[in-house]
Amino acid sequence: MEVMMTRSKLLWMIAGSALLLLILFSVFRKGEAETVPAPAPRAVAVDSTKCIAPKEFMRANHMRVLYEWRNSSVREGNRVHVASNGSRFEKSLNTCLGCHSNNRMFCFNCHSYANVKPKCWNCHLSPMETP
Amino acid sequence: MPLVMVAVLALIPFLGVQYAGLSYFFGVIMPYTALVVLLTGFLLRLVDWLRRPVPFRIPTTCGQEKSLEWIKYNRLESPHRFWEAAARVLSEVFFFRSLFRNTKAELHKDSTLVYGSHKWLWLGGLVFHWSLLVIVLRHSRFFFVMIPGYVDFLDFADGFLDVTLPTFYITDALVLAAITFLVFRRLNDAKLRLLSLPTDYFPLFLIGAIVVVGVLMRYVMRLDIMPVKDQMLRLVNFSFDAPGEIGTLFYVHLFLVSVLAIYFPFSKLMHAGAIFLSPTRNLCNNSREKRHVNPWNAAIKFRTYPEYEDDYREKMKKANLPIEKQ
Repeated sequence: MEVMMTRSKLLWMIAGSALLLLILFSVFRKGEAETVPAPAPRAVAVDSTKCIAPKEFMRANHMRVLYEWRNSSVREGNRVHVASNGSRFEKSLNTCLGCHSNNRMFCFNCHSYANVKPKCWNCHLSPMETP
Repeated sequence: MPLVMVAVLALIPFLGVQYAGLSYFFGVIMPYTALVVLLTGFLLRLVDWLRRPVPFRIPTTCGQEKSLEWIKYNRLESPHRFWEAAARVLSEVFFFRSLFRNTKAELHKDSTLVYGSHKWLWLGGLVFHWSLLVIVLRHSRFFFVMIPGYVDFLDFADGFLDVTLPTFYITDALVLAAITFLVFRRLNDAKLRLLSLPTDYFPLFLIGAIVVVGVLMRYVMRLDIMPVKDQMLRLVNFSFDAPGEIGTLFYVHLFLVSVLAIYFPFSKLMHAGAIFLSPTRNLCNNSREKRHVNPWNAAIKFRTYPEYEDDYREKMKKANLPIEKQ
């Protein structure tokens, strides 16, 4: 019985230290990943005269587009969006807000209806906050 | 086998909506049918149980009963007032106290039988039920136009880790982990495997499938939520209008929930209502304090001592026997 106790204790210690190593490892990995090269100069000018896709598509899929934009522009540095008709846009929230900030409730009308709260405005200025 | 049944059940709405265009059936008719079956079935079972007579006090106790003033008694384990019994039932409902006492028997090498404390079932069950409760309450954002305040709080607390987009909910992972544990708990032990019936696995797999489809909708497919909210508000207002353009996964989710609701009154899931009605838990242990008479006992003709004395007074006097009334 005594031996069993110490053995299980040993197992716990091994498991604990493995977990600790895993956490440390992931923290260091994250530190490495954060050293991204400085952002390249703008590839395309912000063009807010037309939308990147038809209204119906954007209504149903804007979250997928923005998610894809965030990953490819922030993590891979690819800041150019090529629309299906060949026109090029900068992958930036400013491209959207160039038009859509004229309606202060543009995002919030639907988002508050469905209680969807993405974390965009933790960093970006929302149409609510811009004059 | 139950796993196959759940897979087939999930395929039905997928094929039905994707290829046969039956979105009206799966989005409107099915939920209403499920609601009607759930409510009537639940009520009928409760009424059936409530009509069973419970003439005597049969609580399972594990504490000192209330008797004399100077003997301490255990209010929770051997309740003798209504609110004590209510506290006992509620503590069972919210914290599963009886599962906390779960033990496990082990046969050791020297053929001694050892009972040890075994809290894993309690922990797994508790995590499972509480996560489900939080998830169901979170879903009320689909049922109200003005979203109630507790949803905001739950959103904040559940999404506390603040990772991934949309925010990852802790309960989503907890409930999946708990279901996995509860399934493997049954599969792992030969004794338990023998005891387990398809009806033990089916609800676990069904709820697991509902959670998985929900997780897929939220984190992987990123379904358009606006027509979903529209449709749920229509259902809450008992409207029979056709649903809008919603992703097929939503219909799978809704259909599986409907199946769960229909299955509910006919299955072990009725423990949700039964726990409140179970006489071994909700009765006061007051057999010493109060006499409980079985109401359908045949009436017994008693003869009291005064009646006896009335009959034999003269004879008793002659025989010099003491009498109470002259």
